[in-house]
Formats: sequence, C-alpha cells, structure tokens
Amino acid sequence: MIRLEGVTKHYGDTRAVDNLSFSGAEGEVCVLIGPSGCGKTTTLRMINRLIEPTSGQIFVNGQDISQVRPEKLRQSIGYAIQSVGLFPHMTVGANISVVPELLHWEKERIAKRVEELLVLVGLEPEEYTGKYPNQLSGGEAQRIGVARALSADPPILLMDEPFGAVDPLTRERLQVQFMDIQKKLRKTIILVTHDLDEAIRLADRIAIMASGRLVQYDTPEAILSKPADKFVHDFIGTDRALKRLSRIGIEKFVKAPPSVSLDASMEEVQQVCEQCRWVWVVDKDKCLIGWIDRSNLAEAASVAEAVVAVDRDAIAITSGATLKEALSRMLSQGMNNIPVIDNRGRITGEITLGDIEVATKETEV
Amino acid sequence: MRFLFPQESQVAHPRASLLVLVWEHIRLVAISSTITIIIGVPVGIWVTRTSGKDFLPIVTALTSFGQTFPPVAVLALAVPMLGFGLLPTVVALFLYGLLPVVRNTIAGLQAVPDNLLDAAHGMGMSQMQTLFRVEIPLSARVILAGIRISVIINIGTAMIGAVIGAGGLGSPIIAGLVQDNVAYILEGSVPAALLAVLADQFLGNVEETFAYSEGLNSLSLRS
Repeated sequence: MIRLEGVTKHYGDTRAVDNLSFSGAEGEVCVLIGPSGCGKTTTLRMINRLIEPTSGQIFVNGQDISQVRPEKLRQSIGYAIQSVGLFPHMTVGANISVVPELLHWEKERIAKRVEELLVLVGLEPEEYTGKYPNQLSGGEAQRIGVARALSADPPILLMDEPFGAVDPLTRERLQVQFMDIQKKLRKTIILVTHDLDEAIRLADRIAIMASGRLVQYDTPEAILSKPADKFVHDFIGTDRALKRLSRIGIEKFVKAPPSVSLDASMEEVQQVCEQCRWVWVVDKDKCLIGWIDRSNLAEAASVAEAVVAVDRDAIAITSGATLKEALSRMLSQGMNNIPVIDNRGRITGEITLGDIEVATKETEV
Repeated sequence: MRFLFPQESQVAHPRASLLVLVWEHIRLVAISSTITIIIGVPVGIWVTRTSGKDFLPIVTALTSFGQTFPPVAVLALAVPMLGFGLLPTVVALFLYGLLPVVRNTIAGLQAVPDNLLDAAHGMGMSQMQTLFRVEIPLSARVILAGIRISVIINIGTAMIGAVIGAGGLGSPIIAGLVQDNVAYILEGSVPAALLAVLADQFLGNVEETFAYSEGLNSLSLRS
C-alpha cells in the first residue's frame, strides 16, 4: 500500500533520512519510532509530499507519488498531527467538513458524514457539531483531529504523535479507542511516536529509526524478543517482559465473576461465599457497586451492611484493556483480583494475578 | 454658538454649510482609505507569500518612509505635478495611511500558527484555499485594526486638504486661523473629532465579529 524505496532527504550537509526503504501493508498500523531527530517525522511528511525527498521514490497504491498533484494526493490521505491544528474560526462540524468540501461533496452527505464520525470517536454529534475548538478539552480536540483525518474516508492515515499532547490517562483512553476504531475500519496507518509503550501497543509493525536510517522493522513481539542490535536493545530498555504484557489483551483471561445482587438474601450470599473468599456486589442494573468479604458476613446483619462500597472506575478495568494495565491496577489497588466492567459499568468478569503470571510464562521467549 | 463667541461677527464658516463640509471630508477619507486598503492589504499578503518574501524588508521600509514623510511635504511636492484639489490630497493621505494597513496585514498573517498551516496543507488545501479559508479569517482582526488606525489617522490628516482646495472640515479651521476666529476652528475640529470617534467605534465593532482569533495563542498552546 505504501512503499518507500531508497528515500533520502538532505538538509544541507545533514542527512535527515538516509536511503530508507520499507513498506506499510494494507490495513496495518506501522509505527515509526526513534529518538528525536531520527527522521521519523520527515519520513511521514514525505509520504504526503509536505516535504519532497532529495532522492528515492515513494509509492502509494503502486503509484509514484511524485507524479500526483500534491493537493490531490493529500486529499486522499488522512493527516493528524500532535498539535491537532483545528481551525479556531470554524466549528467542530466545519473543521471535519474541510476535506469533503474540497472534494465538492454534497451538503447532506457532508452533514451525514460529520455525524457518523463524531459518533465513531465517541462524541455526541448534537452537542459537539456547533462547538468551537476553544470550547474543547485536549482529549476532545485530539478526537476531533482524528475524525477530521478520517473525514473523506481515506484508505491511508498519517499520524504524527496523534496522542502526544494529552495527559497519560486521556492518552490511554484515546489509544484504546483508536484500536477499536482501527479494528472496524482497517486503515493503512503510518504513525510517528517517540513513546515506545504506545508503539508496542498500537503497532502491527514497528520501524525503529536512528539518525535517518532504519534499524529494525518487525512486529512488536519480534522486536521485544529479538532486538536487532545494541541500539534497539538499549532503546527498548530493561522492562521487556512488562512491555510484552501490553501486547496481550485481557479478554482471554477474563473469568466469570462471583457476584451477587444487592437485594440477594443472606443465605444466597453465604452460598456463593463458600466457594470463594469474596464476592462482587451489583445493583439491579448489574452495575458494580462493591464487594463482600466472607469474614465480614458473619458480623453483618444484612447484605447491605456487609458491602464494602468501591469507586468503580478506580478499581475496575474495561474489557479492551491489556494485561499490563490489569497488573498496574492490581498493584496500585493492592488487590489480587480486579473486576472487568463494560462501558456502562456492568460487571462482565474478573481477572486475577495468577492469570497474569501464567500469561507471562506462556509468552516467554 | 453665538452665546459662546459674542464678539465674533460670524460664527459659521460662510463658504459652505457644515453638512457639505462633513460630506466633503468623509468623501476625502473614503476615497483615500479605499485606495489604501485596495493596495495595502494585497501588498501585505504578497510579501508574506513565498513569491514575495524577498520584498518584505523593502516594503516595510517604504511604507514606514511613507509615514515619516509629512503629508504637508507630500502636498507641496504633489501640487506641481497633480495640481490643486482632491487628487494630491488623496495621494498624500494614501501614503500616510499605508503603513498601519500593510504592517498589520503582515503581522496578522505571520501570527497564524504554523501548525494550522501544516494542517491546512496536509489536508490538501492549495495555497489560495489556505489563504482565504484559514489565514485571512484568522488574521482578519489584526488587519481590520490596521485599517481602523489608518482611517482614524486619515480623518485627522485630511484637514490639510483644505490648504490646496480639497475642501472638507479643514476649510473652516484654516479660515478660523487666518481670521483669528475660534468659532470657525471649532466648527471644523469638533465634527472631525466626532467623526474619528464614530469611525473608531464602528470599525471596532466590525473587528469584534472576528474575535475568535483572540483565543488563538492560548488555543495553540493547549491543543
């Protein structure tokens, strides 16, 4: 889908990109990563001709892009940048409509597309279409930026640190959402980042660059288990095992949770508690509200009294999370098992520290 | 007016009624400001494009020179070439009002954050589309402020037009100075001051409709 052949970019005497060749496969996320100044952003910007290479060729869909008018090329490639670059004088709706308007889409089609995209990135269309960028939070702005990049449904997306300018918690949410969207849309994505965890998490393939050269180009698993040289080895650091956990989703390890309803009788609760030390307590909508420890049960007069209330968002993780997140949540909460909830707060399962140990052993290379 | 200046034989300029003087004045300012805008804004745009970048220093220098040159001196030089009346006055006012317009156009366009231009180009806007859809809307407020300053300056400076017969509110002032008649001077200066205040208010309101560019800096920092 995207192929670079011997691409070189000189700025005076410095070689920003040096004889770079690689290709991004259709429907895959290819992450360019490396220390600052390694040429990753230059590489990205050459793909949509914001920068012209000194030598070498770039092919998109088999076509040499130097033969395509830059404006036309860019309209067919989604582009999202770290600073988002939403136009402050346009509403969210107008910002998303820019490329469809350049392509002369009909008004109704554009309006429909804006709504579709806002839903896709999880923002209420009615609330957000008319807002101005200065009324958005950093995370919302980034999501609009992604929506705008997707506006004309381009098969290819170029993203330059698209989740760089937000706090870590928001970044994590955006990454999860990004993966959900990518699962649905299967775009060919080239993403630039300097955050290795982000790369490992999002990439189908990682291209590690150093001073304009490609050092290793492989799947995250392969890079973690077989670093090509000392540079890559040092770059990925010493916590490789931990990083590998972030490649593994929890869904395989989630077990049915022992849970009781808040209005259950004491007998029912005791029955469930015979098998395990504690049970999760849910309300009538199956939303998690707390747990009951078996030892508390004897002293309590009613079920309600025995319940230890919890902050759902603080202890539970969502089903799209990775083992690494589950582990860090367990460590921070001091718990050996944590509940898994869906986006409405309903408990769908639980995951235990033992599961993570098993997973680490299984994937050991 | 009579009660203020009982000793004067006449309290109103005899050549024309106040309304006519105001009209002449507005016409003078309107013509010169229109030419200033028509030439100043495109010049400001041109020198911020790749094609005109090399001319940025010289244009800045020339427009500054235009303003340091006293309008009266321009009149003195222009009269032999262009004769008396409206034309030389318009030339003088045009040169004098050019600087704020050109300078603010340049400043406004240069203040558009690079990341927005990057986004615009990256989405496939042409240079022209970027200019009209992104750069001009975002710098409109600064450009309009330059136009406002230019117009206000011209309302004051247009007084000198009367010296060479261009009419306007300068006529009673000059007559008042010659005849030592304070009433005449006030007849010219008070309406001119009011005009300036009104123009300032009106153009200020127009600027306000482009207020979104105010949050530009904080915005580009945050997102």
